[in-house]
This record gives sequence, structure tokens and C-alpha cells, in this order.
Amino acid sequence: MSTETQPEGLSAQRAAGWIDQRGQRFAAAITTVVLAVALVLQNPWVLLFQAVVFAITVVAGPAKGPYGWIFRALVRPRLSVPHELEDPRPPRFAQLVGLIFSILGLIGFFSGVWVLGLVATGCAVVAALLNAVIGFCLGCELYLLGLRVLPSRS
Amino acid sequence: MWPGLIALLIAVLAAAAFALYRRRVDGRFRTTAAAVTAETSPAERLTEGDLGAPLGRSATVVQFSSEFCAPCRAAERVITDAVAGLDGVRYLDIDSETKLDLVRRLNILRTPTVVVTDDGGRIVARTAGVPTKQSLQAVLPAGAS
Repeated sequence: MSTETQPEGLSAQRAAGWIDQRGQRFAAAITTVVLAVALVLQNPWVLLFQAVVFAITVVAGPAKGPYGWIFRALVRPRLSVPHELEDPRPPRFAQLVGLIFSILGLIGFFSGVWVLGLVATGCAVVAALLNAVIGFCLGCELYLLGLRVLPSRS
Repeated sequence: MWPGLIALLIAVLAAAAFALYRRRVDGRFRTTAAAVTAETSPAERLTEGDLGAPLGRSATVVQFSSEFCAPCRAAERVITDAVAGLDGVRYLDIDSETKLDLVRRLNILRTPTVVVTDDGGRIVARTAGVPTKQSLQAVLPAGAS
């Protein structure tokens, strides 16, 4: 396989910081609920809370972010050992996308431009919901499109 | 409360519509026009020069992957399993980043995208998303050996 700097085998993956995919889906589910509450109540403080979670998770990585921590403490012990781990970089990028949407939403809510607040938060809900339900990886999808736009460097 | 609720409803419906669309499209091979007509444009064929490797004797399965692509490894497993024992079929996994010109020429928008060519390199079927073993075997030449 020519894409390969990918670690093979569970211990190599773990050493490389790879993560349990179920943790990612769990975190996405919590994120969806929090964002949905923020959206329905048009409550900027709930949105701010989620924005902070996004920011921490971007910096610390999905495994060490707040929702990842909850997963490891409460959910993971009840599950079987994963037979395969996942590259943490796409979920990390997805957190960044969520953070950007959240910031736009906060700007909208706090400045009174309610449409911006609703649309940006709504987009964040769509991304989180798709991630939670079908494991849709927004970062993965955008990566290739981003590459195509850049001038050929190969 | 109402604007937020309506916004949420729109968001959920949009997500549901997209999820259903993906469920339908993912991994389902489309046979291309090149399978039927004799003439092909560069967008419809792959050469050994393009791939940096020889074509398969009866067919070639080319997977376009990229670094940020969790489903690509699942696709690799399915395809390896599907072509096992089919000696005339060659499987190539390509890092899109190293072949951006090919990606643009074939209009590849997602990874994994799996392209099946005949023995002459003409693209006869393609799909985006992870294929199933059956769907792939259905577009490979029957009794390829």
C-alpha cells in the first residue's frame, strides 16, 4: 500500500497515538446533543461551552479531550477491546471545523445577528450528527478536495 | 424558541437526506460509458505510465486513497479479499497526493474511490466509498484467472 506511514498492529497504533473509533462516535453524539440544545434555546452560553470543548480537544487530541475522557472513564471499560484503532488527525481536524462554526455562531448570537448564530450552529449540528450516526468524517472528505485545489507539487 | 427549533429540524432533515444519499451511493459501482463504446478519452483510461505499474492481464482494480482516510483501509481489506485467487486481476492502491494530476483528470472527489479497468486500461466501472466483495466481483471479468 503506497500511502504508508500507517502503523500496523494494535500496539504500534496505540504507540502512535491512534484512537478507539467508538470514542469518536460517542463524543460526536454528546456534541450533537449539546449543539442541539444551544440551537433550540438560542443560548450562546451552551454554545460557548461546546466551543471550549472543541478548543481543548483540538489542542489535546480526541483521546484527551473532555468527551474522550468521559468515554475512557465510563464507557470504554464496558466495551470489548478494539481490534483496530484510528488515525486521530481527521477527528482532530473535525474539532477545528466545529470550533470555527461555533465561533461564527457565537459572533452571531452575541452581536444580535441571529441568522448567523442559527446557521453556523445548525451547520455544526449537521456535521456532528453525521459523524455520530454514520461516522461521516468531514476532515477526510475535505482533505482531498483541498489537495486538488492546490497546485501540483508532485 | 421557535427559530431555534425550526433550525434544528432543518439541520436534522439535511443530515438525514445526506446520510440516505451516502447509503445509496457508497460502494455501488457504476459502469461507465467506456465499457460500451470503443472510443475513450484520457479521462476514461489508465495507462501503465499513469499508474507506474503494469496493468492486470484481464483487469486492474485501482484504489485512490489519501492520508486522512479511515475508510480506505477497510476498502483495502475488501478488495484484497475479493481479488484473491484471481490471477489476471491486479490491485493497486494509490496515494492520491502523489498522483494529483490523475485525480483531477479522473475527477476524483473522495477517497476511497475505486476504479476498475479492463485489460486495455479502459475504465469500465467506478465507485466512491467502501465497495462490497460482491459488488466488486460483479464488475470484474467473469472467471478472470
